[in-house]
Amino acid sequence: MICPFCSLLCDANDLNEIDCGLQNKSIVQLAKLRSQLDASFNESVTDTEMETAAAIELLKNAKRVLITGRVASVQTARAAVSLAMKVNGTIDCAEAGHVFKNVLAIQRSGIHSVSLAEARDHADLLIVIGGDALLDDCPRIPNSLNSENASPKTVLLLGTFTDKSTAAWTAAGFQPWSISCKIESVPTALTQWSRATLQFSPNRMTSQLFIAMDTAKYTAVLWSAASLRVEQTDLWVERLLHWIASQNETKRCAALPWTSLDGTFQQVCTWLTGFPGRIRFHDGNPSFDTFTNSYESWLARSCELESDSVVIVIDETAATDPFIAKMVFWLGRKFHVIELTSGSMRFPTAVAGAEVAADIFRADQTLLAHLSPSRECDKSRVRPAAYWLARLAP
Amino acid sequence: MITRLFGGECIDGVSKSEVRDLYLVQDKISSVSTDARLDAEYNLSNHIVVAGGIDLHTHIGGGKVNIARLLLPEMVRHGRSRLECTEREWQKIAPLSSPVPGTWETGRRYLEMGYTACFEPAVLPANARHAHAEMADTPWLDTGGYLLLGNDRLLLEWISKGAPQSQINDYVAWMIRAHQCCAVKVVNAGGIDAFKFNQRHLDVDEKHWHFSITPRQILKSLSHAVESLGLAHPLHVHCSNLGVAGNIASTMATIDAVEGRRLHLTHAQFHCFGTEGPHGYCSAAKALADRVNAESNLSIDVGQMQFGQTVTLSGDTMHQFANRKQARPRKTIFQDLECQAGCGVLPFQYRHDQYVHSLLWAIGLELFLRIEDPLRVFLTTDHPNGAPFTAYPHLIHLLMSYDFRMSVFERLHADVQSTSSLASLKREYSLDEIIKMTRLGPARALGLFDRGTLCDGGIADVVIYERCENPEHMFARPKMVFRRGTLVYRNGEFLATATKSTIVANVEIDAKMDVTLRKIWPIHYGYSSDLIRIHQDELLSDQRNIEFASRATKSVVIGK
Repeated sequence: MICPFCSLLCDANDLNEIDCGLQNKSIVQLAKLRSQLDASFNESVTDTEMETAAAIELLKNAKRVLITGRVASVQTARAAVSLAMKVNGTIDCAEAGHVFKNVLAIQRSGIHSVSLAEARDHADLLIVIGGDALLDDCPRIPNSLNSENASPKTVLLLGTFTDKSTAAWTAAGFQPWSISCKIESVPTALTQWSRATLQFSPNRMTSQLFIAMDTAKYTAVLWSAASLRVEQTDLWVERLLHWIASQNETKRCAALPWTSLDGTFQQVCTWLTGFPGRIRFHDGNPSFDTFTNSYESWLARSCELESDSVVIVIDETAATDPFIAKMVFWLGRKFHVIELTSGSMRFPTAVAGAEVAADIFRADQTLLAHLSPSRECDKSRVRPAAYWLARLAP
Repeated sequence: MITRLFGGECIDGVSKSEVRDLYLVQDKISSVSTDARLDAEYNLSNHIVVAGGIDLHTHIGGGKVNIARLLLPEMVRHGRSRLECTEREWQKIAPLSSPVPGTWETGRRYLEMGYTACFEPAVLPANARHAHAEMADTPWLDTGGYLLLGNDRLLLEWISKGAPQSQINDYVAWMIRAHQCCAVKVVNAGGIDAFKFNQRHLDVDEKHWHFSITPRQILKSLSHAVESLGLAHPLHVHCSNLGVAGNIASTMATIDAVEGRRLHLTHAQFHCFGTEGPHGYCSAAKALADRVNAESNLSIDVGQMQFGQTVTLSGDTMHQFANRKQARPRKTIFQDLECQAGCGVLPFQYRHDQYVHSLLWAIGLELFLRIEDPLRVFLTTDHPNGAPFTAYPHLIHLLMSYDFRMSVFERLHADVQSTSSLASLKREYSLDEIIKMTRLGPARALGLFDRGTLCDGGIADVVIYERCENPEHMFARPKMVFRRGTLVYRNGEFLATATKSTIVANVEIDAKMDVTLRKIWPIHYGYSSDLIRIHQDELLSDQRNIEFASRATKSVVIGK
């Protein structure tokens, strides 16, 4: 299945069997939010109808509409884009900032990339760039890249990894080799290393690195833009992509850029509108602008016009850092806010793939899985975000 | 709902073209007048009445289309709506807002030309659910997909180990059913996988470095499986050596490899190069056309190129990579995917002043004009690889008018003008032949026996074109389009949505193969085979039906 917490494939057959370390926290969080919900929200039909009518009225009178939040499923992404089109709104997701670090680089230079199963089966050298945050966010990455049938692979950990990460890769059956360096300098260093010769190597470690890179038949380069701590990440990614492209002149090398659950929204929005997100509709036509249409930019511009502006916040994930809190900080309650979230008091929304069936892309955005709800969840209590979005449409 | 269409000339390539009455009774066609009350009737004098168009090879869904969109946001022209333009302006900007528009625009523009069914020809197994989801969001059109096999490492491994043909047949059946596709496509058999092992060339009888098998073995095995399973559509093949000078030899070898079984060669114009000529390239269209004319098991779609900006997207990473320096603008995407296939995306500009581009244009038309049976050569541009699908009316004009063809020919590269035999081909397609090529032929090739004609009992997907001297104008804008008996488009206005069908092949799964794949799938791919199986319930959502393509019987519809 695909874990609705970290968007990575798991061997587990059920949500409760996932062992990525994130789910326990999230299920606890979810249960807590649900109990708060029960305590303070009288879920009678009448109340819900009144809330819906009020929200529709708000939207009808709004001059500016922003739809944002965490959209995890194909179904909700479709509904969100459809609503944005109908109300001539702007749509930008919460984690789009990370997604666009890769997207902008790809749009300038293109990419040689590899999917998860291909890298698992075929790559004999794995270069992982970043720090421990990578495995904090997605602890299952080493296990997912390890094929039981293949001989142990070398993994080069470049960046600020500690023994903790090295141990995790070792436990998953890899031969890790960590080189501590500034992440900013990795693309340049890789270029220099691959241009130099073996004789040039000044020390044993560099020599080993040369050998590993020189003998590799297929190199996969993995990073997660969300957990990178570098300035101007899109430019950094672009330089790395140039190095990968140059490697393919004589051998095989490919990128494995990691995304979060927002990859699903990006895919759906792209096939519906032609753009990967950050779009504003005018007369039903989308326009794309990575800066102007970001939710941060929209909120900053709308501060003077708060009474005419409506923000729809979706959160159908079980994320532990509530996006809502961030939004409330941003908004300062200046705007009319319609909340469709698992923790909201307004329109209680199911967690996609956990409480309701949902189609969710795996983190490499290749595989689209249909996830059934967890056996443990009370599916009758909440509705999918897509349902509420369809109700709000004029 | 009963609609009477009278006074129009009915053309369907089956019966004689004539002015006659046609009734649309619920969602079916009938020629028998009825006593029941008519809900609507239309006088169609000076109009032709034809079945809905069927595009059997157009890239409208799946990962590669999306990454092309992702790569080229700057190519999207912020569209003006139809109402803001004069007719002339609209015709000018009409091609598409982008070489790879969003799903809504794709559905709308196909319907505006009178097309009602389209088939995505390269569904990567891992990506099948995505392809179906995307096609579900393409309004008005019935859709289906061809499953990409022949580079999946599991199959290559089995062939290399000498697995019995029955095992390959069962595997193909399982894959088709699990991914809800209607045909099998091979792209550069074995070549995509070979490229992952850094092999940069693979001819039909050349061995894959890792598996030590040849494309010939793969083609033979898969064509055998397709025949054994009784799939309506023959093996759909993108040959080896795409765009390489002299690739006619590998195209011929591909035909030989299937040993007389049915075979469909796709975007054949890209596989028709000889090595003579001023720049080491020449047309070998005559050789292929002669072969198709002589062997009734063969069919082709042309993938006709048109001049201008587009984006090429193909599973053939080996040859897309080889062409990377020709990308305009200079940015490309290559993907190695899931031990199953790959993907290469290159923006491309076809130019009159470029010899090979001009030659390609002439080769495509040569194929159309030299192949005698319009039921075995299909009108495609391999959207968006050769041109956007909106080029079809222009292409029809080229086929129907020698003079118009020559007016474009005169603008080609001088060396093409001096060496091409196109000028000597005076054939002009008749309206009847165009209708066969775009309706009846594709319907038969796909096993959709209740489509593509105006016969009694057929699905009431009917298109009305106003007669016009210029076929380009006529086919660019129908007067009316009926989907399943409901008027959905009239004079530029979209009146209603339509229930869509997903067309799948009706094949049985062998229980033993199911057990085998449940066991080995996680080892090969790292996840359970259950994860990728698409259930019919999923396809039945979103106003969709399922139809089964069949070689022998009429298609069956399962609906809600």
